[in-house]
Amino acid sequence: MPSFEDFKPFFVTGLSLGGVYALSGTGIVVLYRATGVLNLAFGAVGAMGALISWALINHTSANQYVAYAVCILFGGIVTLAYGIIFGPPLAGRDPLVKAVGTLGLALILLGFMSWFWPPKSRSMFLPTSNSGYQIGIVHVTWTQIIGLVAAVVVTIGTGAFLRFTRLGTAMRALADDREIAATLGVPVRRVEAVAWLGSGLLAGTAGLLLSDLVALDAVTLTFLVISSLAAALIARLQSLVVTLFAGIVIGLVDALITPILSISTYRDMTPFVLATIGLLWISRRRVVSVGRAGT
Amino acid sequence: MNAGGAPSEARASLSLPERRPTAGTIVRGGVIAVLLAFVLAGLPPLLSVYWLDVLTAVAIYSVVALGLNLLVGRVGLVSLGQIAILALGAWVAARLDFATSLPFPIVLLATGVITAVLGVIVGLPALRVSGLYLALITLMLAGAITIVLNSTNFPNGGGGFLGHTESSFGSGGIRRPSIAVSDQAYYRYAVVLAALMFVLALLHVRSKPGRAWAAIRQSEPAALAAGVNVTLYKLWAFALAAFITGIAGGILGGSSGKLFVTQFTTQGSIILLAVVLMGGVFSLWGALAAGVLLQLLPALLNDWGAPPDLLTVIFGVGVLQVLVTAPEGLVVQVPRDLATLGRFLLRLGRRAASLLGGAQ
Repeated sequence: MPSFEDFKPFFVTGLSLGGVYALSGTGIVVLYRATGVLNLAFGAVGAMGALISWALINHTSANQYVAYAVCILFGGIVTLAYGIIFGPPLAGRDPLVKAVGTLGLALILLGFMSWFWPPKSRSMFLPTSNSGYQIGIVHVTWTQIIGLVAAVVVTIGTGAFLRFTRLGTAMRALADDREIAATLGVPVRRVEAVAWLGSGLLAGTAGLLLSDLVALDAVTLTFLVISSLAAALIARLQSLVVTLFAGIVIGLVDALITPILSISTYRDMTPFVLATIGLLWISRRRVVSVGRAGT
Repeated sequence: MNAGGAPSEARASLSLPERRPTAGTIVRGGVIAVLLAFVLAGLPPLLSVYWLDVLTAVAIYSVVALGLNLLVGRVGLVSLGQIAILALGAWVAARLDFATSLPFPIVLLATGVITAVLGVIVGLPALRVSGLYLALITLMLAGAITIVLNSTNFPNGGGGFLGHTESSFGSGGIRRPSIAVSDQAYYRYAVVLAALMFVLALLHVRSKPGRAWAAIRQSEPAALAAGVNVTLYKLWAFALAAFITGIAGGILGGSSGKLFVTQFTTQGSIILLAVVLMGGVFSLWGALAAGVLLQLLPALLNDWGAPPDLLTVIFGVGVLQVLVTAPEGLVVQVPRDLATLGRFLLRLGRRAASLLGGAQ
């Protein structure tokens, strides 16, 4: 068993990764609450944004900050476009069908990514990774700090937005009952569009951060969505605060297993195992319900 | 919850009297028999080894698609972990193959049974969750199985329980059955087994389990109220799907002789769901269409020099198209659209003819 000293660096990686998982988890939960769509293409959107931004930096003379902005905007625009095109025709369908639709988007993006950028080693190096703090023996980069702080800020910000603004109230109304909200004069399409856009911007941000923190690889980034998904599921796709903590716990457990050699090969299973336990816990009481799907 | 004490009338309604075969069924059966004879006897001499391999893969993956087709189309359970089940089947078959000298069919059968048991274990959560959450649980399990496989790898003749050794490039591949050692014979063997699996599925769909599944798909509470043993039939569906997929895994091992972890990705499970939906889940033919999409189309595109990644994009567009406009899938959509096109052309032709007639 490794000593406590060995774990210290992994606390930092765990916290920062967990923060980004929580950030993505928030994007997933907000979109699910407002539109009923569980966006499984969240990771793919961020991955493609990051790859585009990499291409801009390495193959053109574009300013790197412009490239980062393009990554985030790409997330927002693609997600919004998907929401506008495929949201309405699938609105009345089962949540499962809506989720499978986003798998279609994920496949399209994955196909384009491996077409334009065949697998080879690339790396994204954000300027914030250059400098950082020294805490004891552990070096902490600004990117890692941003990962954690962004998660907390986004969680509080989104919570406040949903609680105190008109648009946020409308979103919560949609989450409760789409039809009744529409009858009361909530502009459903417009409110949904805002949710798609916001969630997409978060996808782009998460993709950018993860491409630096983990790896700039299409498949890896696409399937990192599972970690965020696990956080969102543990929060029953409802609570933003629980998503934040679940995301951080997943990141921490995943990272802290690394120095324990006997099981470190299996550490990537953390999100799967936690999410499965979470899902079974959610549905521990079997209820046969007859009614509208998705409520 | 206990459906065991259901009234016997409700039970009786589940076992309808056998239907007499109509002229249509006989014609259809004849067409299928002729097609099968052509595929088995006529096709192999015309093809190179490469295309035989491709068609063997089509047969194998049609069977994999059939398993998912049954789950999604008949019972309404979406699994995103079928490729992981296929990997389990392939692993078990390879392990049995290297550990014993049992005849190939026995190995296949044992693989099917063991995979079915594993499938039931994977399917256990389905008793509690369904719909979106079930799809996610199976996705998680698939991811977990893939990670375990990454470190255990596939048996290749090594020792121990895992049977994998890094230093055995010389060790023989996975055996083929003694009656089907050549590529042509193995292709026929795979097609016959695939046909048997389709018959097995058809027998299920046409009899009591099929009706129970239909009831569950329509409404679980109603099925429960009608005396359908929901627990039994859901697990049965998972067991059957896993049995079929396990057999496919066994044939897959024999076809290439070696198995690689990269053949069984989580992305593969997602693509499988996409092609099964594209093929159509309400007909068993959809599974065949899915097999063609999954294995023949990439080979054709490769032959034509198109980028292979284009296919992933096509599958993504295809699954969205199917979800939005044609839930029945290609096997219904293509004939219908062709018929519409035919009628349109006919009408166009008639109008042209009448215009010409008017001009004279």
